[in-house]
Amino acid sequence: MSAAPVPLNSGGKELLNPPSDGISNLRFSNHSDHLLVSSWDKTVRLYDANANLLKGEFLHGGPVLDCCFHDDSSGFSAGADHTVRRYVFSSGKEDILGRHDAPVRCIEYSYAAGQVITGSWDKTLKCWDPRGASGPENTLVGTYQQPERVYSLSLVGNKLVVATAGRHINVYDLRNMSQPEQRRESSLKYQTRCVRCYPNGTGFSLSSVEGRVAMEFFDMSEAAQTKKYAFKCHRKSDNGRDIVYPVNAMAFHPIYGTFATGGCDGFVNVWDGINKKRLYQYSKYPTSIAALSFSRDGRLLAVASSYTFEEGDIPHEPDAIFIRSVNEVEVKPKPKTLAAPS
Amino acid sequence: MNELHKDYFLRMEKACGSLLHELQVIWDEIGESFADRERVLKDLENECVEAHQIKLDKASHLRAHLHQSIADAEAELAAICSAMGEKPVNNTQINQIAGSLKSEVSAIVPLLEEMRNRRAERIGQFLEVTDQIRKITIEIRAAGCNQSEITFDESELTTRKLEELHKELQSLQKEKSERLKMVMGQLKFLNSLCIVLGLEFEKMVAEVHPTLDEGEESKNISDDVVDRLASTIQRLREVKIQRMKKLQNLATSLLELWDLMDVPIEEQQLFQNITRNVAASEHELNEPNILSVDFLKSAEAEVSRLEKLKASKRKDIVLKKKFELDELRRKTHLLPEDGEINFALEAVEAGTVNNHYSLLMEQIDNQISLVKEDVLSRKDILEKVEKWLNACEEENWLEEYSKDENRYNAGRGAHLALKRAEKARAIVNKIPAMIHNLSDKITMWERERRKVFTYDGVSLHLMLEKYNVHKMEKAQEIERQKEQKKLYKQMVAKQELRYGSKPSPVKCQNSRKGRGSIASHKRLSLGGAMSEPPRVDDRQRNKTTPSAKKTKDRLFFSPDKRSAYCSPSPTKLRFNDSTPRRPELPRQPFSQLPRSNNIISAPPKMISGDNSASRTPILMPVQMQVGPTPPLTPVKHQLESINAPDHVIEYSFEERRLACYLAAHN
Repeated sequence: MSAAPVPLNSGGKELLNPPSDGISNLRFSNHSDHLLVSSWDKTVRLYDANANLLKGEFLHGGPVLDCCFHDDSSGFSAGADHTVRRYVFSSGKEDILGRHDAPVRCIEYSYAAGQVITGSWDKTLKCWDPRGASGPENTLVGTYQQPERVYSLSLVGNKLVVATAGRHINVYDLRNMSQPEQRRESSLKYQTRCVRCYPNGTGFSLSSVEGRVAMEFFDMSEAAQTKKYAFKCHRKSDNGRDIVYPVNAMAFHPIYGTFATGGCDGFVNVWDGINKKRLYQYSKYPTSIAALSFSRDGRLLAVASSYTFEEGDIPHEPDAIFIRSVNEVEVKPKPKTLAAPS
Repeated sequence: MNELHKDYFLRMEKACGSLLHELQVIWDEIGESFADRERVLKDLENECVEAHQIKLDKASHLRAHLHQSIADAEAELAAICSAMGEKPVNNTQINQIAGSLKSEVSAIVPLLEEMRNRRAERIGQFLEVTDQIRKITIEIRAAGCNQSEITFDESELTTRKLEELHKELQSLQKEKSERLKMVMGQLKFLNSLCIVLGLEFEKMVAEVHPTLDEGEESKNISDDVVDRLASTIQRLREVKIQRMKKLQNLATSLLELWDLMDVPIEEQQLFQNITRNVAASEHELNEPNILSVDFLKSAEAEVSRLEKLKASKRKDIVLKKKFELDELRRKTHLLPEDGEINFALEAVEAGTVNNHYSLLMEQIDNQISLVKEDVLSRKDILEKVEKWLNACEEENWLEEYSKDENRYNAGRGAHLALKRAEKARAIVNKIPAMIHNLSDKITMWERERRKVFTYDGVSLHLMLEKYNVHKMEKAQEIERQKEQKKLYKQMVAKQELRYGSKPSPVKCQNSRKGRGSIASHKRLSLGGAMSEPPRVDDRQRNKTTPSAKKTKDRLFFSPDKRSAYCSPSPTKLRFNDSTPRRPELPRQPFSQLPRSNNIISAPPKMISGDNSASRTPILMPVQMQVGPTPPLTPVKHQLESINAPDHVIEYSFEERRLACYLAAHN
């Protein structure tokens, strides 16, 4: 797909002016190669990934735990100071969209519903309408109680998947948020780290702190549920015993539907979920992978190499963001040579 | 005296008289009035008297002053004398001697002077003595003792007191010298202790007090230092006694071990200096460094070396015995039993309690004698079994031989083979009888001892029965094949009638092959089966025996297969049991998971890629390690396990990080 092979640095091009503290999440825009990065240094930064330029920086009230784009000109962030903020990049304006009772952990914008959805450690999910005038009274659409603190969220189409502490998973239909469509328990036996929906909307993948990823499906019928499986990853073998790393991030390739996972071992692996194969492994990054994001055309992969505090407060490598150019061979699925895939 | 006065009056009268006369003349000239003249004369008189009075007062003062001086001098003298303990000088004597005050004074002053001087002298002596006393006291007692007390009272300057002080000084000096002596003595003792214990004398001494190392005079011998010296010596003595005890214990251990293991004299002599002192008392141990730390360590090392040697020798002995036991068992075709003995063996290896060893030896000896008994009782039957097995061998050989088409060709050894075949046939005939006989014997033996007669782990009865069953089945097979052949011949004959004759197909090989394969199948299935086969009763056995003669098939008991049949599935099972199960470890996110066997559906091809960051990324598609998630074990989890009781809360990394962040920034 790429015109000429881009000479790869060991991990990709390193972005200049990275945040000064841990990176909680990064996202590519759906319209351009702008990258929005949220960090523990209380800032939300906007970069032009191609030009390697910092285009904007916004200060939050506390460490920023998640961020997302609205459109190419504005974005939202979720902070540990319990606020949900909105930024307009061109003007540099920002305001508070709303608040939770505890740090806000995740934030997503749903194009289908035109709403911002946030999940917080106050065990609620809140939906906000950003078109309304500012002020929490005007923007809050609804508050939905969760069984536990929200750890991760993902959207695809009208489906919303919420992963909480205690390994609960709730699947919602955005058109009817009063009740979760499905209440599930994670099929992984350890704490959920991240949940991501498949781009084709048939299901979602879950990752845990125990170096394992589960591939699940929304369709609860027997036939569909037989397709679900889990696999081990991000593990190191040492004298016959496995050292297991949490899988912090997952990102789906927008075109091929293959996905990358990033773990505390510092590796990014690319997987073909349908053929159950690993396609590629990038060389090791300096420290844990905190976040991953593919650009809208799948040509770039942003990798946040930032220590995620899995071992507590210890000295660690500086936080960095790498932008890799993605080769087709690394992400294109490879069906088995025999007949039908499994 | 009176003369003076008389002269004085006369002169006065004369002088004054002439002056008065002159005055009178002048007055007459002047014409002074009577009153005036009277007045002037009166004044003159008064003035005269006053002048006299003044002189009188002066003299009186002088007298008083002299009195005072005398009194003072006398008082002082008295004080000095009393202070100095001498008899006071008699005042009246002086008075009497002196006569007048002035002479008294002049008499008393030199006396006083003298006494003063003597007093000063005396004080000087006192000072000297008290000074020395003070010095010594400081040396002897602690440095901070109350120096102000060592003064003397100036009112007590008697020689007696001086003598007292001198005596005190002397006694102090004596004390000092005694103390010094004692300290020297202690130091010597300390030195000897240090030599024995291998410690540095200078260091120990410096610890107590630096001056002790210097010349005699400059040593600090205050109470404090002496106490410290005494306590140091006590401490070292205790250490010496402790070490001595230790050494003596080691010595006794050495002696015991030498005795037990017959250690050669040359080796023993190396440690004579330890054992020599095994019963020494505290004071007899004076050799330098004999109780030093290093020396003790070396003794300890020797003892432990010998202990290890002892343990390993014992181990060897135990192993030998075990080997003997195993050999016995093997010869009588009993399976070796490990279990207890191995466990106990480890204890011996670890060098633990002596009891273990002797117990173990007893156990092994018991077992050996038991096995020997067994050997005797089994001898008979085992001989018969040997014969039977040989017969089976011959049977198999015969079968092979019969298949050989060239057997009648006159080649080398053909005649020998013929002979063997004849013999073999005879033996084969005897097999049924042998089996019958053997079976009876086994039954009797089993009934007597109420246990199964095993041959290399398998019940012998079982073996026999299987053999029989197999023979029977073979016979049946042969019958069946005969039937088939018959039918076939009939059919061929019919066809020949219809169509004319055809060349006969090679039947023999096929049938032989067919039988062989069936037999081999049977062999395999029988080899695998461990369940008790149905007991074949005698009638059936008899039936099979004639047919057994006719069989040309490869029999079940080929020589090399024999052991395979008797292949100990028990040992196989045991083998499985003995693979150590990995203990479930308390797991933490990065620590190690036990490698479970049931996960991997396809062999993982590329795990090595994870190990080095420097390797080029792998391009080969790699199969995922798919499989069920591991069963939840109640393991300690850094983030708390899921099944933990409700009050244990799990946290994500971000929550923990936020807590740290807030702590740092607040």
